[in-house]
Amino acid sequence: MEKKAKKYNLFHTKVDEILSANEFTSADFESATAKEKEAMVETHKSVSYWRDAVRRFKNNSVSMVALVVVILLTLFAFAGPYMIPYSYEEQYRGSMKLGPFEYSESEQMAKQTLQDADAVFSTALMPGSLNSLRKGDFAFRFQGKWYQFTLSRTMRSGYLMIQADEAEPLFTVKEDDFVAGGSYDKTPVAFTVIDGKPTDANVTIITMSKSIFPHVFGTDSAGRDIMSRTMYGARVSLLIGVIASLIVLVIGAIYGSISGLIGGKVDFVMMRIVELIYSVPDVLIVLLLQVVLQTPLQIWFDTSSIPLVRALSTLGVGIVSIFITFALLYWVGMARIIRGQVLMLKEQEYVTAATVLGASNSRIIRKHLLPNSIGQLVVTTCLQIPSAIFLESFLSFLGLGISAPMASLGSMCSDAIDTITVYPYRLLFPAIILSLLVLSLNLVGDGMRDALDPRLKK
Amino acid sequence: MTSFILKRVGSALITLLVVAAATFFLMNAVPGSPFVTEKSTPEMVARAEAKYGLDKPMVVQFVNYVKGYFVGDMGVSLKMQQDTSVADIIFNQNKLTLSTRVGAFALLLAIILGIPSGCIAAYNRGNGVDGALRVITTIGVAIPGFVVATGLLVLVGVQLQWLPVRSGSLETASAFILPVIALAFYPSCYIAKLTRASMLDAINQDYIRTARAKGLKTGTVIFKHALRNSLIPVITYLGPLTAYVITGGFVVETTFSIPGLGKYFISSILNRDYPIIMGTTIVLAALIIFMNLLVDIAYKLVDPRINLSKGDE
Repeated sequence: MEKKAKKYNLFHTKVDEILSANEFTSADFESATAKEKEAMVETHKSVSYWRDAVRRFKNNSVSMVALVVVILLTLFAFAGPYMIPYSYEEQYRGSMKLGPFEYSESEQMAKQTLQDADAVFSTALMPGSLNSLRKGDFAFRFQGKWYQFTLSRTMRSGYLMIQADEAEPLFTVKEDDFVAGGSYDKTPVAFTVIDGKPTDANVTIITMSKSIFPHVFGTDSAGRDIMSRTMYGARVSLLIGVIASLIVLVIGAIYGSISGLIGGKVDFVMMRIVELIYSVPDVLIVLLLQVVLQTPLQIWFDTSSIPLVRALSTLGVGIVSIFITFALLYWVGMARIIRGQVLMLKEQEYVTAATVLGASNSRIIRKHLLPNSIGQLVVTTCLQIPSAIFLESFLSFLGLGISAPMASLGSMCSDAIDTITVYPYRLLFPAIILSLLVLSLNLVGDGMRDALDPRLKK
Repeated sequence: MTSFILKRVGSALITLLVVAAATFFLMNAVPGSPFVTEKSTPEMVARAEAKYGLDKPMVVQFVNYVKGYFVGDMGVSLKMQQDTSVADIIFNQNKLTLSTRVGAFALLLAIILGIPSGCIAAYNRGNGVDGALRVITTIGVAIPGFVVATGLLVLVGVQLQWLPVRSGSLETASAFILPVIALAFYPSCYIAKLTRASMLDAINQDYIRTARAKGLKTGTVIFKHALRNSLIPVITYLGPLTAYVITGGFVVETTFSIPGLGKYFISSILNRDYPIIMGTTIVLAALIIFMNLLVDIAYKLVDPRINLSKGDE
C-alpha cells in the first residue's frame, strides 16, 4: 500500500496546499501582460472539413499510391496519344501482327536507310513511320531556315532526305518499296525558302527524325498499334466512368432529396419505383438496351442539327447508349443513399429555421440538404466510376458496347481471345491497364470514403 | 410469416411482369421489321409478320405473349434456328443444363472458398495472413471477370498447358475446372471480405467473451459461435451472387467457347432474334428473382430478429 501510494504520489499532496488554492492575493488581480495575452490566443487554426479530409486521405498510404496510379493512367490516356506517332485507327500496312518492340521488315530496312542518311524528315503526325507523305503542302525547318514544298501525289513510303555534302543542300523525296526489295526512285523537289513558320493550316509541318518509333505493345492483325489503342481505350473508359457517374449523381441526388424531403405518399410511390428498378436484374436489361438503342440513336445522330446532339454523335452510339443505360437504371443506389441522408438531415434545426423563414423546398434542398450530404455524394460518385468502367468493358467484351475502329479495353481483350495461343500479349496489355484502372479507382474511392465520411468506415 | 411470404411472392411476380413488359416493349421499340432483308419484298415481310402475329396491335401482342408464357409457349425463333420453339431451344438443347452446371459449381466453390478464408482472415486479424488475404481479395474484387477468365486461359491453358483451352461441351472433368474457377473468383473474394467484416463484428460481442471465458478453444469459438451470426450478410449476398453467376456466365462461356445458354443469349442479341432474346431474358430474370425471393425468406427464417414486413428501414 505504502509503495503504491508513493508511486502515484497520492498521499504526498499536502492538505494545506489544496485549501490555500482558493485564497487570492493582490497579485492575482493584476492585468495580464502582452505576453500572457498572446498565450491566450488560440494557436491552432480551425480545420475545415475539406482540409481535415485531405489530411486523413494523405495519411492513407494505400490510397495515395492508388491516386498516383490513377494520375499516371490519366496521363497515359490523355497525354499519351500526343507522344507517340501512331494513331489508334490507322492500319499500318506491312506492320501486322508485330510483337512488342518488333519492327516490320519494311520498317527495319527503312531504319537502316535512316541511319545512312544525313538527315531525314517525316511528317509531324507520324515521325519516322515512313508511311505517310500525303499529297499536299509541307514545310520544314533546316539550319534555321523554313522551306516549303508541294507534293503532287501521295507517297506510300516516301520520305524526304537531305544530302548535305552539296554546296547547296539538296532535298530529294524518296519513294522506297521496301517490301518489294528496295528499288526506289529519287525525285528532287522544288522548294521555296519562306519567312518564318507557315501559318496556313493546310501546310503540314514535318520534323526531323532519325529513328523509327517502335510499336511498344506490338500491333494487332489489322496492323493497328496496340499501345495507341490501349491509350484511347483507357481514355474512353475514364470518360465513360466520369460522365456516367455524374449522370447518376445528378439524377440520384435530385430524386433522393425530393423523395426524402417531401415524404408521405410521394415518398412511398417514389421509393416503390426505386425498389422495382432495384429488383430488376440490371445486366439483362442493359444488354437489351444496347440492342434497342443502336438504330434509333444512329438515326437521331445522322439527322439532328442540334449542336449538343452533334457533339454527342462524335462520341459514337456505343458510348452514348451506355450513358442512357446509366441514366435509366443505375441512379437508384444513389437515390437511396441521398434519401437516407435527407431523412436524417431534415430533422435538424436549421432546416426547420429555413422552413419558418419561408424557404421553398428547392432552396432547402440546394442550400441545406445537398451541401450537408456532400461527403456521401462525393464518395458514392467516386465509387460509381470503377463500376461504370466495369460495365462498359463487360459490354464491349461481349461485343455490345464500343466496337472497332473505336478502341475500348474490353473489345480489345475479346479481339485478342481468338489469337490467344499465338499472341497472348495482345490480351495482356489492355487487361493490365483495365485492371490497374479499376483497382486504383476502387482504392481511391475507398480512401475517399474513409476520409470524407469516417462513419461509413468498416 | 405466411403474410410475409405471400407479400414477397407477390412483389416477385410483379417484378417479373415488369421485366417481361420491359423486354417486350424494348424489343418492339426497335424500328423496322425483323424480317426486312436485302432480298425481301413488302409482301413477304407482311406475310411473315402475319405468320408470327406481328401485324396485330401492340397491346394484343403483349397479352398473347404473356398468355403464351403461362402455357409454356415462348414463341419460335425467327432467325437462328428458324421456326424452332424458343422453349425447346432453352430447355431441351442442353444449353441451360451446361450453364446451370457451371454456375452451380461456381456458386458452391465461391461459398466453400469464401467463408473459410474470411474466417481465417478474421482469426488472424492484423498479421501477415490477414494482410495477404486482404491483398488477394481487394485485387479479386477489382479485376473484371473477363480479365480473370482470359488470364487463367493464357496462364494455365496456353503457357502451362495443364488444362484444355477450349472447354467445349464440358465432357471431361478437367474442362470444368477453368470456367468454374474463373466464375467463382470474384464472388469468393467478395464473400471472404463480407465474412471477415461481419466476423470481426461478431467477435466483439458479449456471448463470444462468455464462450472464451468458459475456456473453449479459439477454433470452436470462431467456427461454432461467431460464424453462425456472421453468416447473415453472406446469405443476403446469395441473391446478387446468383445474378453475378448468370451474367458472369456470359463472359466465361464466350471465353471458353462453352455452348451454353449465356453464349447463345449473346449471339441471339447480336443476331437480333427477338423471341429468343425475350425468352432467355425472362427465364434468366425469373431465375434471379426466384433466388432473391428464396434468400429473403431464408434470411427471415435464419434470423428471427429481422422484421422485413415493416419496410426497408
